[in-house]
Amino acid sequence: MQYKDYYQILGVNRDAAVADIKKAYRKLARKYHPDVSKEADAESRMKDVNEAYAVLSDTEKRAAYDQLGHNYHSGQEFHPPPGWDAGFEFSGADGADFGDFFSQLFGRMGAGRRHGGFETAAGRGEDHHAKVLLDLADAFHGATRQITLRAPRIDHSGHVVLDTRTLNVKIPKGVYEGQIIRLAGQGAPGQGGGKAGDLLLEVHFEPHPRWRIDGSNLYLTLAVSPWEAALGAVTPLNLFETTINVRIPEGSQSGQQLRVRGKGIPSTPPGDLLLTIKVVLPPANTPKARALYETMARELAFDPRSEQRS
Amino acid sequence: MLADDQNQAIDAEPEDSGLTLEQLTSICCVEREWVIHHIEEGLLSPPAQNPDEWRFSSSMLSRVRRIVVLERNFEAAPELAALVADLQEELETLRRRLRCAGLE
Repeated sequence: MQYKDYYQILGVNRDAAVADIKKAYRKLARKYHPDVSKEADAESRMKDVNEAYAVLSDTEKRAAYDQLGHNYHSGQEFHPPPGWDAGFEFSGADGADFGDFFSQLFGRMGAGRRHGGFETAAGRGEDHHAKVLLDLADAFHGATRQITLRAPRIDHSGHVVLDTRTLNVKIPKGVYEGQIIRLAGQGAPGQGGGKAGDLLLEVHFEPHPRWRIDGSNLYLTLAVSPWEAALGAVTPLNLFETTINVRIPEGSQSGQQLRVRGKGIPSTPPGDLLLTIKVVLPPANTPKARALYETMARELAFDPRSEQRS
Repeated sequence: MLADDQNQAIDAEPEDSGLTLEQLTSICCVEREWVIHHIEEGLLSPPAQNPDEWRFSSSMLSRVRRIVVLERNFEAAPELAALVADLQEELETLRRRLRCAGLE
């Protein structure tokens, strides 16, 4: 595990006042917010900034962090000394999205829960949530995927340790972008004989070279020849090891969208395919091709800009 | 239940009904009252009439997380946090449309 210098990340002195930490955080949050930032590594920088702020803006966490000493450097191999956090109580933070360093030190503590593992009453364990990245083909065939999860746990002596566990998960056919799938009993263990919580996985897909995904709908730009667009045609379309025949209606134009109902991701109900027609012209690079274009120019009374003139 | 099991695959079931209020509050580290208050103020759209029937989608989960961060880290008023979340969602929708149109 590598040491993180939270003060360096926020660009403040170790004796910075709360107001200065807040100010530095807000400035950096604007700079690195992934929705607006043009910086290449904005997302990972924002994560670090959020993590640093979660610690330094919390009096208890900051005091515990400061107690680790001043002699570590950013990126240095680091192991928290035994008992480093004795006497501190942490509450109200969610480290689910933060890195190893944060998790090792502070664990993942729910709002209002106290360090030391004292649950208020015997009961069902917490539900955990994680994102899972799948291939689009998995949505068509289903898949068994190995998923590695890290969850902080409090050991016998009251310290936070990081458990890594690997689950073999059977992903059902028909999962779509943004869907939540549930692994019963794979969340936090129950207290005092209570049932374990569930693990809730949020489905996302790796970017696909051909298909663009929105929920259970799939989008594709379909290249067609001028005669296919003008006269209509049936063209085969390869869709994850099956082939479907798509009818291009007579008189189609570039930019027009065709909807093939029910052939998107096979969810319940199934998604659609949305095909954007793109007419591609054959090059006029042979005498014969040129002659054909010249015949069309002569024989067809066609003005593509007639609408603009009226 | 936390023991590793390398051999046997665990079935994942689609949670199409959405998250319950308890699941949402546990994942986002907020109190029940926080969610109820935000629904009453119109900052989160009510998923049903009766709170017992409330189910939250994954897009609602993202919205709640955004608002929580804005309120906590920027001390934003709930109305302002919801407005920023609205703008972020609009940006996401437009980016998705660009992507689907093959323009990004």
